[in-house]
Amino acid sequence: MEQESLTADEIALYDRQIRLWGMGTQLRLRSAKVLVINLSAVGTEVVKNLVLGGLNSLEILDSSKVKEEDFSAQFFLPNDDSIVGDLKLLHALPQIQELNNRVTITSNTRPLNENEGSYFKKFDLVIATELSSKSEILWLNGITRESNIPLYVSGLHGMFGYIINDLIRHESEAEREIGNQPRVVGTSISGNKTIIGVQYNKLTNKELVKVEDVYSQLDNVLSSKKVSSQLNKRQMRRLSASLPLIFTLFDWQRPTDIEADLDNSKLKAAAINMCQHLNIPSTVITDEYVELVCKQAFTEFSPTAAILGGCLAQDVIQFLSKKESPINNCLILDGIRSEMPIYSL
Amino acid sequence: MGRDTYLKKVLGEDRYQKVQGSTVLMVGAGGIGCELLKNLMLSGYGTIHIVDLDTITLSNLNRQFLFRKGDIDQSKSITIKKAVESFNFHGTKLISHHGNIMDTDQFPIDWWDQFSYIFNALDNLEARRYVNKMALFLKKPVMESGTTGFDGYVQPIFPYKTECFDCQPKATPQTFPVCTIRSTPSKPIHCITWAKEFLFQQLFDESVEGDAEDLSNATDNDKELENLLKESNELVELRKLVVATGEVISQNTFFSEMVRKIFQIDIERLLLIDTLWTNRLKPIPISDAQIEEVADLIRSGGIEQRLESLIDTQVWSPLENLLVLYKSATNLQTRMKNNKFIAFDKDDEDTLDFVVTAANLRSLIFQIDTLSKFDVKQIAGNIIPAIATTNAIISGFSNLESLNFLAQNSRTDSSMVFISIRPNKYVTSATLEAPRKQCASCSVARGILKSEEGTLDQVTLEQFIDKVKSKYSYSSDISIILGKSKLIYDFDFDDNLSKSLSEIGFKTGELVLIQDEDDEVENLELYIEVGLKSNDIELPELELRQKILIEKENGHENGVGKDAEEESGDVIESDMAFETIVIEDEVEEEVPAPKKRRIN
Ligand SMILES: [Zn+2]
Repeated sequence: MEQESLTADEIALYDRQIRLWGMGTQLRLRSAKVLVINLSAVGTEVVKNLVLGGLNSLEILDSSKVKEEDFSAQFFLPNDDSIVGDLKLLHALPQIQELNNRVTITSNTRPLNENEGSYFKKFDLVIATELSSKSEILWLNGITRESNIPLYVSGLHGMFGYIINDLIRHESEAEREIGNQPRVVGTSISGNKTIIGVQYNKLTNKELVKVEDVYSQLDNVLSSKKVSSQLNKRQMRRLSASLPLIFTLFDWQRPTDIEADLDNSKLKAAAINMCQHLNIPSTVITDEYVELVCKQAFTEFSPTAAILGGCLAQDVIQFLSKKESPINNCLILDGIRSEMPIYSL
Repeated sequence: MGRDTYLKKVLGEDRYQKVQGSTVLMVGAGGIGCELLKNLMLSGYGTIHIVDLDTITLSNLNRQFLFRKGDIDQSKSITIKKAVESFNFHGTKLISHHGNIMDTDQFPIDWWDQFSYIFNALDNLEARRYVNKMALFLKKPVMESGTTGFDGYVQPIFPYKTECFDCQPKATPQTFPVCTIRSTPSKPIHCITWAKEFLFQQLFDESVEGDAEDLSNATDNDKELENLLKESNELVELRKLVVATGEVISQNTFFSEMVRKIFQIDIERLLLIDTLWTNRLKPIPISDAQIEEVADLIRSGGIEQRLESLIDTQVWSPLENLLVLYKSATNLQTRMKNNKFIAFDKDDEDTLDFVVTAANLRSLIFQIDTLSKFDVKQIAGNIIPAIATTNAIISGFSNLESLNFLAQNSRTDSSMVFISIRPNKYVTSATLEAPRKQCASCSVARGILKSEEGTLDQVTLEQFIDKVKSKYSYSSDISIILGKSKLIYDFDFDDNLSKSLSEIGFKTGELVLIQDEDDEVENLELYIEVGLKSNDIELPELELRQKILIEKENGHENGVGKDAEEESGDVIESDMAFETIVIEDEVEEEVPAPKKRRIN
């Protein structure tokens, strides 16, 4: 490993990103084996970004058949109505491989729950998008925890979306500008981020700072009451309905008829209930947002998929680089307000 | 239909129809452009025009996902159109234009008029400023965007209603005093600037051929000044050696003459000026032995092998630098026989090698750290790091914010968005502010002057002035500037009055700036559009504002945003923020220096 270095061809191809994150990170990417579950709109964006970045290998697990609505934002699909009903990966894989022939692209079209726990062990990291239910999320998290594999889970509801992650534990180390006061070991940066090492470098007049991230399991994230303690008065006043609404949808059955809207009053009641669970005032639930989410729940939309997929892939690279502290552990995308708050739950 | 079910639900039926009926322009098909075009098509935009003048290079492929190795050297605007057809799910009509957006023949103002929205996906200030100006003329909304490394922003612009691109000053490229570059370098960048901007230019480029430079402001030290002049004059002599045609100048002669002059004689002369070295490390000229060693290797023919084993990402030894300098200098010398001059280009290996090694050898002399070719290339080529993910995020927001334009409360709903990764958020958004009264672009009224070719031959400047004065009720005299800076009329310059407008230079795409001599009403800029069938000149319907009123309007608005700034949460640690100031970009864009804004 230590002796390995990038070839001149790789340096030329990855020039603009090596200049940003260095040869070390590029080498780490080159050795990473990643699994992406479901080639949804977000999954499509994540795959594009990571394949361009230059992973070692990427496996896509998706047993689904092409549906008409997949021709909304899943741009690896060829524009051809006759493929509706075919296995999606059959048609998408060639386009993905074309992005970068240095990355080994493989597929698995077995349904997710038919894969044994040992199957996941061959990956350094797992990214799941649009999982079908909360129980599926928790089942997968159980497996990744057991095998000590970092996990990202992401999904889209039109203008809204989320990334939650259980990366178990992560250490990052980078030189940082000195602040007004020297950094102190043991300082908590946010709920789950702590400074665990500080070394002053006289030559550069910077501090080498080591940050530890500790992650909660996703069942704790999804039932957390920690939101309110992380917000000051002003932030609490400005809190949007997107967090409780998205959390409500984790318990919602995905509709089989994509044309139908969710039941407005049912959703509103459930969201208000969710506010109580989250320990935030139910007044954040506005009729405007309930109405939007009734229409947009479980829909895919290209610009928000790009934002979420860009963010997620970037965070995976941060994670692998060990230089920056990753998202910990719940990011909400509110495309109406152009906000992306991150909560430590 | 299943294909647009999601779009109808997310956008609403009305807005979806508006999006489908829209014709929009995307300027730039690079890093942001590839991502943005995909988004715009998948959001259902009906017609998209794409403009880019660039061709595809290898270093684009790590992020410009619509391009492949086989597309290298092909036109971006044309290749991108073909590439996206495979997922043109909503039947978007695509029209690509290979060309410079600032070309008024290819893109006259009536061409611009067809767009309901303009998306900037540009990589340079000049084109951004131009698009900004066209948008001000036509009152068209623009989505401005930029990325660099992990940072990026989008800025929706509603002309004369919100800040324009020019309202906030932009970071300018770093500059250094002449004496630092020429006599007393202390950092690698000083030596790289010397090698690229001075030595390379003097020897190979066209811009300074034979001209003596004006150094009078360079330094107060007379001895140093005299020295600088001597150095320049000798380089002119050296250049003659480079381009000597007819007689056969041995490559060795040019190389050894050059090395002796710039790394020995010039340095020894500098050392004679004691005052320069009282507080600095004295430079150490290259030794005769070092020059001999290279000459021996050249004679024995063993240098090719040594050159092949060099690695770009490692720092080279003094000898290795000299060998690469020899190789690149002789290559350039050979090429000069066919070319009048050669310009520095980071992707032209000979020019890059020359600058890398000349800079490193100068660094060695001044006891400054030397750098790898990889690192020098970044500095000499103004390379800005660029990644797929940042472009994806920014183009997503670019698209998202543009959709507000088609919704009801477009201006109040739109906001600027910056990527700013913190433990408790990923982006920062800020409300749009009113134009700044000091902005040179916003404090001018703009309109289109329509005419046909023959009319410009007939109407005299005097007639034109009368027309303008009565149309806009000027109470005092006016002055008129044509194009960038050509004064054609003011109260004590009336030579042109009887000339026709075409004689003076009025033509399509030219700008006419009209100023009130009493400075009471705002300036007026007219864009000349020839082609309309008309017997007369048609001036735009505009009401010029009194300058005093403009100040009042804007003064009020500015007051609101000023004191409101980001309220830092309890858990934010400042060092997780990216403080960026970025200079030139070659591919993507400059991010403006962050400033205090009203944060949503
Ligand atoms: Zn302005």
